[in-house]
Order: sequence, then structure tokens, then C-alpha cells
Amino acid sequence: FQDDFSTSPHLFTPMSPYDLELPVQTAEDGVFASQSKELHTDFSSVDLSFLPDVTQENKEQNLSEDGHETQKELDGSLPSHEDSGVFMDESSLSPPGAAQPPPEAPGACPPLTPMTPVTPVTSSESSGIVPQLQNIVSTVNLACKLDLKNIALHARNAEYNPKRFAAVIMRIREPRTTALIFSSGKMVCTGAKSEEQSRLAARKYARVVQKLGFPAKFLDFKIQNMVGSCDVRFPIRLEGLVLTHQQFSSYEPELFPGLVYRMVKPRIVLLIFVSGKVVLTGAKDRSEIYEAFENIYPILRGFKKPS
Amino acid sequence: MAARGRCPECGSGSLVEDAHYAQQQLVCAACGCVLSEGLLTTTYTDEEHLREVAYSQSTGQKEQLSRCLQRGIRRVQDLCKVLQLPAVFEETAVSYFQRALQLPAFHLVSLEKKELLGGCCVFVTCRQHNWPLTMGTVCSLLYAKQDLFAGVYLSLQKELGLSVPALSLADLVTTHLSSFRLLQPATDVPAPFLEDKERLLARTLAMVELASQTWLVTGRHPVPVVMAAAFLAWQSLRPGPRLRCPLARFCRLAGVELPPPARLRLRELLEILLAMASRLSWLRRCRLDRRTVVKHIGDLLQHRLFLLKNAFSQQDGEEQQDTSQGSGSLGSPPVAQGRGCPSAGRRGGPLRPLLPPCLIRPRKRLRAAAPSAPASAATGDEPISDSEIEEYLRSPEEIQAFRKAKAW
Repeated sequence: FQDDFSTSPHLFTPMSPYDLELPVQTAEDGVFASQSKELHTDFSSVDLSFLPDVTQENKEQNLSEDGHETQKELDGSLPSHEDSGVFMDESSLSPPGAAQPPPEAPGACPPLTPMTPVTPVTSSESSGIVPQLQNIVSTVNLACKLDLKNIALHARNAEYNPKRFAAVIMRIREPRTTALIFSSGKMVCTGAKSEEQSRLAARKYARVVQKLGFPAKFLDFKIQNMVGSCDVRFPIRLEGLVLTHQQFSSYEPELFPGLVYRMVKPRIVLLIFVSGKVVLTGAKDRSEIYEAFENIYPILRGFKKPS
Repeated sequence: MAARGRCPECGSGSLVEDAHYAQQQLVCAACGCVLSEGLLTTTYTDEEHLREVAYSQSTGQKEQLSRCLQRGIRRVQDLCKVLQLPAVFEETAVSYFQRALQLPAFHLVSLEKKELLGGCCVFVTCRQHNWPLTMGTVCSLLYAKQDLFAGVYLSLQKELGLSVPALSLADLVTTHLSSFRLLQPATDVPAPFLEDKERLLARTLAMVELASQTWLVTGRHPVPVVMAAAFLAWQSLRPGPRLRCPLARFCRLAGVELPPPARLRLRELLEILLAMASRLSWLRRCRLDRRTVVKHIGDLLQHRLFLLKNAFSQQDGEEQQDTSQGSGSLGSPPVAQGRGCPSAGRRGGPLRPLLPPCLIRPRKRLRAAAPSAPASAATGDEPISDSEIEEYLRSPEEIQAFRKAKAW
């Protein structure tokens, strides 16, 4: 019931700021995979003209990105500790296998300050840049034992070299992805650019395996990792950043040209380069990537000017 | 204490246990003959029970360190001696090594990695005391592969939770230059190539500072920058005979290895210097190129603070206002519009923007980011056509052919 709390705050905007209870209960039934879709349709009536101008590259960004962006801006007006409460709930949903920090009071509903609807956020608070997803890694269980040699023989798009790796490597053209299919029936799907594409691709691989004669099912589809990247458009003094954020950063120019920033909240690893390009990885949900970028952007702005 | 047996000499039964200078003796009370003396036992308290004490117990072998740990500690100590580190460093490094080796992450790694672990501990200690030691040096001393060293170093940092401060470039310059052979008279060093250490050091430090302010150092390996800066500094101190000496020969004379990126750094530094030279009025007349600008490095370094503001197009409006107000008699370039647009100087060509080289010369063509339209695959639950899937399956003829070819 606390599930969609992190994404639901932006639902408050069209409504009265005090209707804190309603959206939580309605969103409770929402299926995870389609939650973003539900929220987009709700959002279509909101006036987004206060958003800063998007750059050329971002013009292709769809409405779904805007939806998330507005959520980010509105979250930016919340004090940070309340944000941490909200997002901690989201992270507590992933199965206990992941090494997550212990969630603080998952049952408690952090008190949200009543938000004035559609407050235009000044450009200094929001970056106006949206990280693009570059890669999604997901796993699914086909729940049947597979004969990899058989699959490699009967499928055109499969390669199998048991001496090198104990799985069949299969690729499909649309969405352009690669899958590792193991004899236990587990499958890893990589290369998709969005969660929906990853799910569609995984289903296509499952269909291929079905057509090859195996009783494949589609169980426990889960997004394991999401990678995003973006460009802040100015060079960054990495030496300065590692001095002020020593407990989070690791900058070893002898080893790697970028700075590795391990953000605690959300638990995301960022690779920050001198050119201003930032790679964000380790997310289980795209909101973590957006939040991580919004957290790092003001820090990077501080290192914009040459010393 | 009851006596045992009888005295062999007088047959008396009164035997007494006595101590002669703390050595127990069994003495006959009647004739005084000594029947037996105390056993030379160990310090164990159960010696009075006249039990034998095992060698391993008496020598305290159990309290000793394992052989692997001993070897590792010796390695660490040898490394510290070779690098001529202070005694404090040795103790710290040994303690890190002992702590690390007990952790499960390092207890069972290969011997090769355990050796690298020792080197990593020394490296971490040096960095924490701001002693400029590069990974390259440690790797060459351990004959180790750098990527393996990198892996062990990162896991050590994580396991022990160490905070390692960044390498100080100024200290690195000082240490690196002190290893140069050009600074002392030697048989293979011609007289004009000999240089005074303090002068070379001062000028190299200024060059390195210039490099770091012009984005040549961030994200790059520090040693090639230092080499290129030292080379230019050395050349500029006596350009006449030294201009003809190439970088490779300089490194050979100095007794230092030439790192491959040093040539690129040299080229980048020269570009920066040329851009700066075009802003000095007395240099604007002569058309300087990569060789001749070396002669004027002294001047350029002297005025580098001013030139950095004026020789490169700035990125922010605020900075430009400063320069237009604070510029001297050399003329100020007009304010650049927006970021990254090269502005034309009053005299001379457009100004190069002060950006890292990867931004000025992007190697990759920036892909026009066009993610697929949101309409397609919006849910992930769309129907999948059979024909699409069947494209990926082999026809029976293909299967036959494959079977014949590969004999599955």
C-alpha cells in the first residue's frame, strides 16, 4: 500500500493539496509494469507550460518523460528528509535478495507539506535535462528445462558455445535486444531502451522458445538494472568534486578518467566525466535515475567554472 | 617431602630436597651426597610434575603468525625500504595488511593477489600521508599487471573502508623530477643539457598549474602531463641547444620511461601556449609556431593569470564582464555570446574556448537522440505475431544442412 507512494505525489497537483489519502488507495491496485501508463493518462490535463524549454535533443522526449519531470520538480519543493521517506518505501519493495539499506519505518506515512498546485519551479531548482535510458537488464523464469543444443540448432538467431559460456545467446531485431537463455529455464534480457520494450522483448524470446517445442512460461519478470546517461553541457572539475564529496566519490585518473560517485539515496552509481557527460546505473526503477540526476545536478553546477 | 629410595653411598634413608642456587637437588642428609639434580625444565608451571614439555609449546610457536602473513609482512617492509619511506608508513602499511588478510575477501585469494595486497597497503599508506606514489611505480616494483592491481586496490578500499585522498600533483612533480638524471653531471649528459633542479622544478610546477587550469589534467593520467611539462620547462630554460632535442631523447637522458600519452599532452600544451602567445602584443608580431613559442614560455608563464582570462573565450556572461572591466592595455576581446561560441579578438583570429580537449575535438559524432516513439511498445503487453517469431526459426532444409555440416 505504500508501493506507489513515490510516484503518486504528482497526482496531488490537480487536486486539493489535503487529499493525501485518496491517491494512495487508488494507486494500490495499480500493476507495476503499467503504473507509468496510468499516471500519464491522469496527467494529460495538467498545464505543463511552466516547464523550462527543452533542448534540441530533448524535444523528442515524450509526454511520459514530462510527467516524470514534473514529479521531480514538485518533489524538489519537498524537504529532503521527506523525500527520503517516500523513496525508501519504493526501494523496500524489491525482493530481499538485493542488498538494500534497512528501510526506515516502512509503515509510517511521512507527513507531506501541502503543496500549492502547479508552482512554477525556477530553472535553478530543476535542471531541465532528462537522463535517457540506454540499457535495461531484466530476468524472467521460463520454468522449464531447456535443451540448449536443440535450441541452437533450430533457431536462426541463436549462438551456443558451451566451452565459452553455458548459455544460448539469442538476439531479436525488434526491440533490438540480446538474451542469455540457460538450461535451467532462466533467461536474462539486455539491451532494451525502456521497461516496456524489455518486457516485450522477453516475451518474444519466450515465444521463440515455445515455438521450438518447450513448454515455456513467463514467470517473475523483473527489471534488474537500468542504465541512463545525459549531458550537463559544461565541463566539470573532477578534482574539486572529489575533495568536497570525498565520502561518496572515487576519482583515480590513473585507473579511469571518470569520477565514480556512489549516491546513497537513491542507491545509484554515477560515472561523471570531465566533458559533462554523466552515466547513471544501478537503478531498479527509472524514477531512481531521475532522482539521482536531480540530486547531482546542483552539485555539478557548483563545479562549473574553472578555478 | 618424602625421600625416594636410599642413598647409594651410605645407605641412609633420609633424603632431603634442597636447592642449590635455585637448582633442586636430592641430597642425603647423612653423607651429603647428591643423588639427583633438578631437571633443566622450561618455564611452564607444570614442570614440578616432571612432565615433558613439547617443543612447540615451549618456544611459543602457536603465538606466531602464519607463514603467509609473515611473508606478506616481509614484502611490505621490503617495499617500504626500497621506496625509502619513513618508519611510520611501514607500521601503518603492515597493520593494514594484517587487517586485510584476515577478512574473508582476501583470505583465500591467490598468492599473486596477496602480493599485490601488500603493495596496495603501501600505496594507500603513502596516499594517506600525501606522499606522491603512483600506481605505476608500485606495479613496476611488484612486476604486476595494472588492471589486477586496480582490482585489488578498489576492493581493499571498499573492505577496509579507507578514505584515500587524491594525488597531489605538485608533490608528484617534485618526486618525479628528483629522479631525473639531468640534474647532476653525468658522462652521457652533454653540458648544455644539464639543468639546475630548483629552476626546473619551479618552472615545471608553473607549467603543470597552467595545464590543470586549462583542463589538460582532469581525467588524464598524471605522469604524462608531468613529463610533457618538465620537457617544455627544460627546453625553455635554455632554448638554444635544447630545442633540437626530441622528447624521447630527453626521457632517455633523464633516465625515465617515456609514457605514450606524453606526446599528445605535449601537443596540447603547445596549442595552449600558442593561443596565449597571440595575446601578448610583443609576440603578436612574430608568427610563432610550436618550436619558437618554447623560447617565450618564460614570459607566457609570468603573465599566465592575465592571459588565461583573455586568451580564451569565456563561457559565462559574468566572467566576460570581469575581463572587460579589468583588462589591461593589451585590449579586451569582445564579449562572447553564449557558451562555447568562439569570439573574435580585436586583433587576431577567433578565440579558442577554454574547454577540455574532448569537448573541443569530439571524437564521436553526437548521435541525434531519437528514442523510438512512445506509441510503440508503450505497454510491453502487445500481441506478438506468429510470423515475426517464425522468422527466427530455421526451416527444415536449413536444419538438415546444419546437421550434416556440424554433425550435431
